[in-house]
Amino acid sequence: MLFKDKVAVVTGGTRGIGRAIVIMLAREGASVAFTYLKSTPDAEALVKEITGSSGKVKAFQIDVRDYEKAKGLIEKVKEEFGRLDILVNNAGITKDKALMMMAKEDWQDVIDTNLGGLFNLSRNAIVTFLKQKSGNIINISSVSGIIGLSRQANYAASKAGIIGFTKALAREVGAYNIRVNAVAPGFIETDMVAGLKEEYRVEIKKRIPLERFGKAEDVAAAVKFLLSDKAGYITGQTLVVDGGMAIL
Amino acid sequence: MQNVEEEIKNLIAEIIEKDPAQVTPEAKFFEDLGVDSMMALEILAAIEKKYKISIPEEKLAQLTTLAKTIEVAKEYLAQKQGSNA
Repeated sequence: MLFKDKVAVVTGGTRGIGRAIVIMLAREGASVAFTYLKSTPDAEALVKEITGSSGKVKAFQIDVRDYEKAKGLIEKVKEEFGRLDILVNNAGITKDKALMMMAKEDWQDVIDTNLGGLFNLSRNAIVTFLKQKSGNIINISSVSGIIGLSRQANYAASKAGIIGFTKALAREVGAYNIRVNAVAPGFIETDMVAGLKEEYRVEIKKRIPLERFGKAEDVAAAVKFLLSDKAGYITGQTLVVDGGMAIL
Repeated sequence: MQNVEEEIKNLIAEIIEKDPAQVTPEAKFFEDLGVDSMMALEILAAIEKKYKISIPEEKLAQLTTLAKTIEVAKEYLAQKQGSNA
């Protein structure tokens, strides 16, 4: 077990990629605290599913846009789990629209959740990591933040911002034995992608060299590697898990 | 308490790599001693570890001189001793 006795916080843990990451961490022995916004039954089901497979597991219903809630979460996790080793900033939303049709709220909601949430959690975890001179942060970006996808100006901006944040923070805290990396998934079979129109899905697949969508587990595997000691000399990087879609 | 003052002075000097004689009670960490925010956090963490106390992150901004640092440390040491009594 790679992460035995480690404590991890994962945002947006009940569905899709976040869920796969929570399960991966639990299987590798970590105690996991995950956040969710709405789906309490899903969160409870996940807790039930992984209880017993690792250390402790607990779900927290918080909106990552709320700085004080994020602060409270980190404090609670340290109190209840005794420590904090891993932060996975995964929570994210899309509000896809052509820019000419995009409302201010569509922009703000996506930036506040995807980028603001990342700040709120990282800001509140970093002091603990600095003090203990160890820590590991993974930020979930997207190919949209690398190559840009139309109708996603808001989402692409937030996901590109995550890559910049990752690089800057990695430089800042490297001397404290804290690694900060990003994973940029392409099209992964999740609710987020299931919502796309069929003709768009067919169109997208033509642009993927491996000619298929990825699985949430493919992303979790990349996260697992970056969190492991095997990636001990890797920081500030973005690992692209996209079937080759963003090859430059 | 004289002991605590001396201990904290030496601890700070070690972290910021200066001669303890330079760490006078009123010397300003940031302006006079070249302390940066990361060093300030290390000072806070080192004090917490040494005295087994917990100082809230919000107090970080108050750690601007040796005298102020000792004041903060004593505040939490007193709380600890109070709770043990």
